[in-house]
Amino acid sequence: MTDEMKKLGFKCGMEIHQQLLTEKKLFCRCPAGLYSTDHHAEVLRHMRPTLSEMGVYDGCALMEFKTKKDILYLLNKKTVCTYEMDDTPPFPINQQALDVAIEIALLTGCSIVDEMHIARKQYLDGSIPTGFQRTGIVGINGSIPFGNKKIEVTQLSIEEDSCRERSDDKHLIKFRTDRLGMPLIEVVTDACFKTPEEAGEGVRHIGRLLRATGHVRRGLGAVRQDVNVSIEGGSRVEIKGVPRYQLIPALTRNEALRQKALLDIRKELKKRKLTKDNLKFFDCDLTDELKNSASPPLRDAIRNGHRIRGIKFEKLSGILRHPTQPGKTFASELAGRVRVIACLDEIPNIYHTDSYPEYPRNHIDLKTLRLSLKLNCDDSDVGIVVWGPDADTVTAINEIRNRIFEAFDGVPCETRQSLRNGLSDFERILPGADRMYPDTDHPPVRIANDRVLKIKDALPEPTYEVEKRLEEHGVPKDTLKSLAISDYIALIDKLHKEGRDMKLVGRILGQTVRSLKRQGVESDKVTGDRWAELITACDEKKIPSKHIEGLVTNLVAYPERSVEDIVLSVCEKIPAPS
Amino acid sequence: MELTSHPPHVKQPAMSEDIHQGYRDPGLAVLKKYDIAVWDRVEIETTKGLFTGLILPRSKTEDAEHIVIKMPSGYNTGVHVESITKIKRIGRREGHYSIPEKEFPYDKRKKNVTLLGTGGTIASRLDYTTGAVVPAFSPGELYGAVPELADICNLTTTKLFGVFSENMGPEQYVVLAKEIERLIREEDIDGIVIGHGTDTMHHTGSVLSYMIQNTPIPIVLVGSQRSSDRPSSDAARNLINAVYTAAHSDIAEIMVCMFGPTSDDYGLLHVGTRVRKMHSSYRSTFRTLSDVPIAMVWPDRYVPLREYKKRRKDKDVIVNPAYDDRVTILYYYPGMKPDVIDSLIDNGYRGIVIAGTGLGHVNSALNKSLKRAVDKGITVVMTVQTLWGYVHMNVYDVGRYLLELGVIPCENMLPEAAYMKLCWVLGQTQDQKEAKEMMLKTIAHEITEREPHNGYLVYQGGIPEVEKFLSTYKK
Repeated sequence: MTDEMKKLGFKCGMEIHQQLLTEKKLFCRCPAGLYSTDHHAEVLRHMRPTLSEMGVYDGCALMEFKTKKDILYLLNKKTVCTYEMDDTPPFPINQQALDVAIEIALLTGCSIVDEMHIARKQYLDGSIPTGFQRTGIVGINGSIPFGNKKIEVTQLSIEEDSCRERSDDKHLIKFRTDRLGMPLIEVVTDACFKTPEEAGEGVRHIGRLLRATGHVRRGLGAVRQDVNVSIEGGSRVEIKGVPRYQLIPALTRNEALRQKALLDIRKELKKRKLTKDNLKFFDCDLTDELKNSASPPLRDAIRNGHRIRGIKFEKLSGILRHPTQPGKTFASELAGRVRVIACLDEIPNIYHTDSYPEYPRNHIDLKTLRLSLKLNCDDSDVGIVVWGPDADTVTAINEIRNRIFEAFDGVPCETRQSLRNGLSDFERILPGADRMYPDTDHPPVRIANDRVLKIKDALPEPTYEVEKRLEEHGVPKDTLKSLAISDYIALIDKLHKEGRDMKLVGRILGQTVRSLKRQGVESDKVTGDRWAELITACDEKKIPSKHIEGLVTNLVAYPERSVEDIVLSVCEKIPAPS
Repeated sequence: MELTSHPPHVKQPAMSEDIHQGYRDPGLAVLKKYDIAVWDRVEIETTKGLFTGLILPRSKTEDAEHIVIKMPSGYNTGVHVESITKIKRIGRREGHYSIPEKEFPYDKRKKNVTLLGTGGTIASRLDYTTGAVVPAFSPGELYGAVPELADICNLTTTKLFGVFSENMGPEQYVVLAKEIERLIREEDIDGIVIGHGTDTMHHTGSVLSYMIQNTPIPIVLVGSQRSSDRPSSDAARNLINAVYTAAHSDIAEIMVCMFGPTSDDYGLLHVGTRVRKMHSSYRSTFRTLSDVPIAMVWPDRYVPLREYKKRRKDKDVIVNPAYDDRVTILYYYPGMKPDVIDSLIDNGYRGIVIAGTGLGHVNSALNKSLKRAVDKGITVVMTVQTLWGYVHMNVYDVGRYLLELGVIPCENMLPEAAYMKLCWVLGQTQDQKEAKEMMLKTIAHEITEREPHNGYLVYQGGIPEVEKFLSTYKK
């Protein structure tokens, strides 16, 4: 598997987004970390692409405009103010958040910039009411040791988090605004990961390093990765918002294989001597012809007064059947565009004469479609139909044609959303580089050297170094990872100095603490001295391991009892050492 | 928020001779030492590592110790001169400051609208290289940025001046009034739109209401609260609404057209003398006070909310661009000393608009100086700080004394509307009696005889019924 990926020229880089543990948001004084499920008011907005330098619109921006979405923001007065609504300019940047960002930048080996300039990074999907994210580079040119190689950190920025999507139905998308504006950092790595497994491990490695600060948020959604994948001859594709590192190997592998499949399709088109210039296609309205269709979606469309529209591509037979991801074919590439851009989001949203094997019976009579008088497909052609509101079907047909044309180039640059099963689906065209411009609402922020030095002095020890030291102490391998980011590091160092049995230390502070936590016993409040006393007693008295869980449970439950007492009561049947 | 034609820290355009735009020593010395100019692509070696990017201009309001570059990632950063060990030029790229023009389509069946520019941007494009915002103004440029306009009308544009809202003043008001007169009398147009910064839009709305009377066509002031380089800007929508009003409405008044709610929904058409900017940054900042707006407007329709003057076919506009700028507004505060008024008298002011407390009051310590002012021929008028409601100077003794001194109560004229009117009146007469008559004779709703109960609405958040309303209404 790994060899296969190496042969494909697999390359992967990461953008790791980590929320910072601060009291307030980044550019206003709203509380950070407060989530809500209800709202008190709504604001409706639209996004309009701004002309770029050459007087043309960015592809991604234009795509978002084509969707013609109503964007509804749900406001909860406890979590948002007029800043998040884009009705008040930003307040001076949260200094607590900036300190944490500097800390992490130093920990990842970055050079800290002298003067941070806030930029606006455009997002037109509605996830930020302004239409841009405020972001600034804190550090560049970092490097993190990773096994026997290095992960280069090209840049580290501090930025405001976006909204949480609540629903996306046809032309209406709703967002909750509670998360909007919370401080996070983005760590961008180079494309140094050469296998899917390494990519997953790398993200875990960096994630642990960030956690060592104790200044980052934890829990679902606190860390999100944008994973960039490409193969030789393919293109950079971004899989957005991957919440857990465990998902990364399957996602990146499937993406590499998808790119390989798209390159194969390009080869097949070449073999058929098809080019963008000589490809023949024809589109038309099929509403009248298919008005008596037995297919439920088409029947519903007719009943709702919608239109059915078709397009025929000559000599393209079989291409839509070409597998791209496990259980998916090239047709799903078309369906993805139709879903997102034409807002026809009830699946299935296209039918075609190459046929999905999984079409339920009665969904459509493909023979009728093939022989449709207007489309008039022969065996070498492929016919595709879409249905929905008139304007949307026109958009859909255009997007299908655009995507077919892109097949001649191989792999389109896309942002894709990760699905649960390790697959991904189209989210949007990858935005171009030209979408950054200075934030005129916020002056540059000087980061003075003495501030950086002060943070440097208090920097936590990097997790990979702690791990190495604990391993040298003799802490068992299976508890190394968790102990290296625990609060017990100083205690373990002390016990090691006293010559205690490190296997025992690992068993008590690692395994037992973890297993009791799963049972609901929280041992956070036990002091270092009492842990040391217990471990010393266990070590000296050679207490059998079967008693350890009982001892720790009692240690937690009876903070007023002496360790000696606890040991006696739990292990009274043990004969004193001779 | 004010409309700005480009970011304050980017000088524009780039054609100037100055190759070190905005840099001063010690930053300037470093650039000169390595023979580097703005727009050079450079590698900067520093004690912290290598920075690559394009040298950008430096804002004059920022310190002189940093060199600003745009890095390949699109981010800008400032490098402190003390950390620089070497700068090497590796290329050059100048900003481009033009907008490709597309010809604005002409359709003889469509209405003709003229857009007058006073400054600020209605539409713009971004120069990502330099971060500058390049304003779009000619019909061709506007068509590229807001193509919907071509569905509404044939558009011509005239840029009268390029000033920020706060720099609008007498000179500009006179030019504007004369140009509007010329357009109405000499051109075949169906409506006029005036692009304007929002801060003083209600001042201009007021003064034009006095200078231009009996207009046969709609005259619409429009601006934006979020600049047009932002994807969620209100600029395009406001412009579309304003152009629609100018082309298709039958409202022959001087109006301000801005967002109704903060949501992208309808715009409101406000009377120029009764409108006021009520929030420093909200999109829905403009409100008609002590009355209801003229109409609600969408890109394709409008719904009147009250009576208004109808569009006419004639060209009988009356324009009188008189103005005397020796007028001030005195915002009264407790303990105000008479020397404030004395200095106005001594400095030759001819008119004073007092924004008094409550029903139109100031403390009695000012009486002597106010009397001196009136005796010197200065016209002193009273308005209220409360903004809503009438001046009633007969209710308390303090008010009656002021009346006796010759202070003129201005009914429910807004302080800014009274200020602009007094400037206009004193531009025509220095006679106190005549000035008083003119001040109290209503021209364009600046005084209304009646205050409807829904003319005063400042909902109080937190009250259950208000919260309920807010939860069912797009803000």
